[in-house]
Amino acid sequence: MDQILFALLNGTIYGLLLFMVSAGLTLIFGMMGVLNFAHASFYMLGAYFAYTLQPLTGFWLAIILAPILVMGVGILVERFILRHVHEHGHAHELLVTFGLSVVIAEMIKMVYGKFAVDYRVPAELNFAAFSLSGIDYPFYRLFMGGIAVVMFIAIYLLLTKTRVGIVVRSAIYRPQMVEALGHNVPMVFMGVFGIGAALAGLAGAVAGAFYTTNPNMALELGVMVFVVVVVGGLGSMGGAMAASLLIGITNSLAVGSDFRIADILILIGMGGWAEEIGGLLTMRMSSLAATLPFFIMLLVLVLRPSGLMGEKE
Amino acid sequence: MKYAPLLLLVTVAVLIALPWLVSGSMLNAAVQMLIAALFAMAFGLLCGQAGMLSFGHAAYFGVGAFAAVHAMNAFGGEGLLPTPLLPLVGGATGLVSGLLAGYFSTKRTGVYFAMITLALAELLHALAPHLKTVFGGEAGVSSFRMPAWGIGFGSLNDVYFLTLVWTLLCIGLLYLFSKTPLGRLALGLRENAHRLRFLGYNTHALGTLIFAISAMFAGIAGALQSMNIEAANYVVLESHISTAVVLNSFIGGVRVFLGPAIGGAVMTFFGHVTSDLTRVWLLYQGIIFVLVMMFLPRGLVGELVERIRNPSGEGLARTLSTLLARLVSLAIAAFGAVFLIEFLQRFLSPEYRAGVTDGNWPDIALFSYDWAPLSVLPWAFGLGLFGIGIALVTMVNRRVAARKEAQA
Repeated sequence: MDQILFALLNGTIYGLLLFMVSAGLTLIFGMMGVLNFAHASFYMLGAYFAYTLQPLTGFWLAIILAPILVMGVGILVERFILRHVHEHGHAHELLVTFGLSVVIAEMIKMVYGKFAVDYRVPAELNFAAFSLSGIDYPFYRLFMGGIAVVMFIAIYLLLTKTRVGIVVRSAIYRPQMVEALGHNVPMVFMGVFGIGAALAGLAGAVAGAFYTTNPNMALELGVMVFVVVVVGGLGSMGGAMAASLLIGITNSLAVGSDFRIADILILIGMGGWAEEIGGLLTMRMSSLAATLPFFIMLLVLVLRPSGLMGEKE
Repeated sequence: MKYAPLLLLVTVAVLIALPWLVSGSMLNAAVQMLIAALFAMAFGLLCGQAGMLSFGHAAYFGVGAFAAVHAMNAFGGEGLLPTPLLPLVGGATGLVSGLLAGYFSTKRTGVYFAMITLALAELLHALAPHLKTVFGGEAGVSSFRMPAWGIGFGSLNDVYFLTLVWTLLCIGLLYLFSKTPLGRLALGLRENAHRLRFLGYNTHALGTLIFAISAMFAGIAGALQSMNIEAANYVVLESHISTAVVLNSFIGGVRVFLGPAIGGAVMTFFGHVTSDLTRVWLLYQGIIFVLVMMFLPRGLVGELVERIRNPSGEGLARTLSTLLARLVSLAIAAFGAVFLIEFLQRFLSPEYRAGVTDGNWPDIALFSYDWAPLSVLPWAFGLGLFGIGIALVTMVNRRVAARKEAQA
């Protein structure tokens, strides 16, 4: 029982982290129609910036400064690269961001090497929050979840309760009308792109210390984030939240499970056949955990192609 | 374009004569180039003609590669599947896996399609290490090319010709395909899928079919690859293979027929040539891709074809002199940028850092000079050249714009 509780908690926190990155992606897509392939690269940049700053400024200042730096990078990308190719259409913008993700990953490899760097949770945060049946639960996980929740509330309030939020939301639906009312829409776009990048950077700065910080982290998380937005429906915040939690929780439940497909087949008397076939049928759930999100995605595509909360195309 | 058939004939003749013209190492590179060209063409069919951007084409390349190795082991190059026909197995498995993957991914269009193809490729990549019987685990699966039809297939020349024949055959088939009604429908799918649906076509089936055909040719390319190296490892399923084919095809230009092939061949060639000169070739490849996407959105070949078809009306001499001025200034900027990147790479490399002993920074050898890393000289040199080059390009562009203005 405690095991399941732990798995649920871990899954929720991983889901919140996924949401932090996919929220920015969804926001940018909903607003500018650009699928930013380099979004997960901003997550990676956040982790590496924080790792670099940590010895100079200490952990707390590092996780504040790193997202700001990432925001700067995001703004430069939007202003000088994306805006330049805007006239060629959205597919072209996607390709350019794809190229940027390659360039960023290669630069990181050049500067920091191909292997993981030693970016760790600071000692003052590395303690157990509580323990259940003798297993300690790290405080840092709760800290990550807490930051994600605080971020959300802040963004939600910003979008729904302030004047800036009203302009941003209306720029999503009727950019020309908003421009006619005298608002600087390209500036709004740049700001949203920057905030989205900063969110991803913050997620990276916080999570990089707990998970590993290596040049592959952008791709690994990026693929998960794409699965999240396909499952949730791109452009829908609620969908992204539901899909992130769904994928986070199934993932962490599966890691701790010994279940095999052959075990079901034993119930209907086909256990021997399954053992003979081997392959997928006798693989333990725990080793399949990394592939589960993809199967969820395929299932959603068959049952509800537009995603859990997406609009019909 | 009346010289096109002649140009094609000359290219094919050179390709056939190549084993007598170049060294063994270059011939090896040529085999890689041909495979990259065929793979890029398969990608170009999907992306250029049908407008479906796939980020996971390594999956079908890899599936073809593994199928060919298993077939090589099973048949021993005899019976129903002699060695020269092995790519057929790669093609068939590519087709089947393409039908399966295409069914799911073409359920959505646009950016969703791109994300699904990426996720499917990652699914296979995550699954492969666990399926040891099929993918051979860490070590992969290896095999030997057996002699067949009186050909040994032991020497590099035989492999080259095998690859050449298959590549030319497949590119020819792809060309013929683009002329069939199905090939024309692919263009319709790219331009206006809604309208196609109104006309009564089943766009999902159509997309799946084109996806499968593209995957089939990717599978053939994969089979040629594994026959060349006589092994397959799950590294061929990794994302950098998918990335490379996207970059190469778009650098060449996906909207012109041979664009992807030329892009693939040229980039592979440069990758081979620079492999002992630089460690950051992928970085250059990425930068070139971003620059091409920003300034030459049709791709290199696409831009060239466009310029030949619609000359600027300034006369040949003027066009050539503008082109030359642009190329020279770009070369200066590129040299500055390459110098900076290479210097930075050497400066940051672990070997160099290991040589640093408290405050003593040894010189870095680059382009046959030794540069002191802490002096301002190397940085100013690189940045200066880069700046001069960019300034020259801007100047040339302004002049051209002014001339156009004067004409109008």
